[in-house]
Amino acid sequence: MMQYLIMCRSMTYAQRSAAMLERAGISARVVKAPQGLSSSGCGYGVSLYRRFDEARNLLKKNGLLNGKIFYRDDDEEFREIN
Amino acid sequence: MIYLDNAATTLIKPLTVSRAVLHAMQTMASPGRGAHEPAMKAAETVFLCRREAAELFNVPEPEQIVFTMNATHGLNIAINSLVQPGTKVLVSGYEHNSVTRPLTEKGAEIRVASSPLFDSRGILAAFEKELPWAELVVCTHVSNVFGFILPIYEIAELCHKRGVPLIVDASQAAGVLDVDYSRLGAEFIAMPGHKGLFGPQGTGILICAGECKPLLSGGSGTDSIIQHMPEYLPDRLEAGTHNVCGIAGLLEGIRFLRQKGLKEIFSHETALLMRMFEQLDQVKGLELFTEACRAQSGVLSLRSDRINCEDLASALSDRGVCVRTGLHCAPYAHRSAGTLDSGTVRFSFSPFNTEEEVDACCQFIKDLL
Repeated sequence: MMQYLIMCRSMTYAQRSAAMLERAGISARVVKAPQGLSSSGCGYGVSLYRRFDEARNLLKKNGLLNGKIFYRDDDEEFREIN
Repeated sequence: MIYLDNAATTLIKPLTVSRAVLHAMQTMASPGRGAHEPAMKAAETVFLCRREAAELFNVPEPEQIVFTMNATHGLNIAINSLVQPGTKVLVSGYEHNSVTRPLTEKGAEIRVASSPLFDSRGILAAFEKELPWAELVVCTHVSNVFGFILPIYEIAELCHKRGVPLIVDASQAAGVLDVDYSRLGAEFIAMPGHKGLFGPQGTGILICAGECKPLLSGGSGTDSIIQHMPEYLPDRLEAGTHNVCGIAGLLEGIRFLRQKGLKEIFSHETALLMRMFEQLDQVKGLELFTEACRAQSGVLSLRSDRINCEDLASALSDRGVCVRTGLHCAPYAHRSAGTLDSGTVRFSFSPFNTEEEVDACCQFIKDLL
């Protein structure tokens, strides 16, 4: 199943993002991002499997989309969405 | 015991506070320092507290809520962010040392907007007169010695008209009065968690508009390769491990007071103050610092010409009554009220105090005099 990882500025932003998605009925959880996905070291993001486009639009609309976005299928490596 | 030192620390807390502290000690680790369950549980609690506080103080974004050790810590961050040597800072005549000492340490040029006690119009006129000189205003919302409620929203408006940034010390107001960040438009609002918000000692909140300088540098759990503090809040000002247990208690404290309602808390405390005033007003040799006006919270200072303040407080302590005496770390306030030579005995109320406690305390005072 396709996993999406929306990188966030900080833990607090990830929590805000997850809470916002949850309120919209989109299942998402805060995760620590794998090393290498963040150029500046440790980072957090929200992970989700469904309704990605909707989630991205919602976060963008609310000024919470300020990091890179990655996806992977099953056990593949994460790839950045441009 | 009759605990009437709530302006220092509210000792009697809702039971949910101590339960939450213990639960956090037993189940929570460091927020933002891992992805395991105890770390994520801690992170969730910290976030919930940010959100609850943001709602209480009408702050647009939860990341503007920065956790500190106490109000002094928050005020030091605020002053460190905005003051350089020689900065012209206007303060009220009711500031605590947690404002005036850091200003002095930073080499600020301090001027006082002087006014008599409980004179709201006078203090506004003083600010209006001195504001053209000022580059920054630091002002308390409520005097910790006398409970004098300063017209902080009007002072904030004057600052906005002049384009002068404002730091508010909400130590005695938070949890009792409406402290509305969006209405105040202050650069910073600092407050302790352990007074009106019913959190444990070692907790505090600093509300930040944006621009700020860290007082401490260290681990933030994010951007670890970069060798300076992150640019964004709250990480920029929260170096090192959070006081998760304290924040868990603070969350329950805020929930309690939001459920009870600020108006009810204020009414209860001021009713107790009036009850005390009515019983002691006619006692010979006793000077009570109060006014039959709305500009006073649940804090009553007094002094006697028959017994010095320390002896009176000590005698009350022997009878199980806990009060604060001396200068209350606020020499500016005592200078303004003309009590610098004697200090005062301060009685400060909480929602957990009762009329019976006030009556017993008044009787002790009458017996002692």
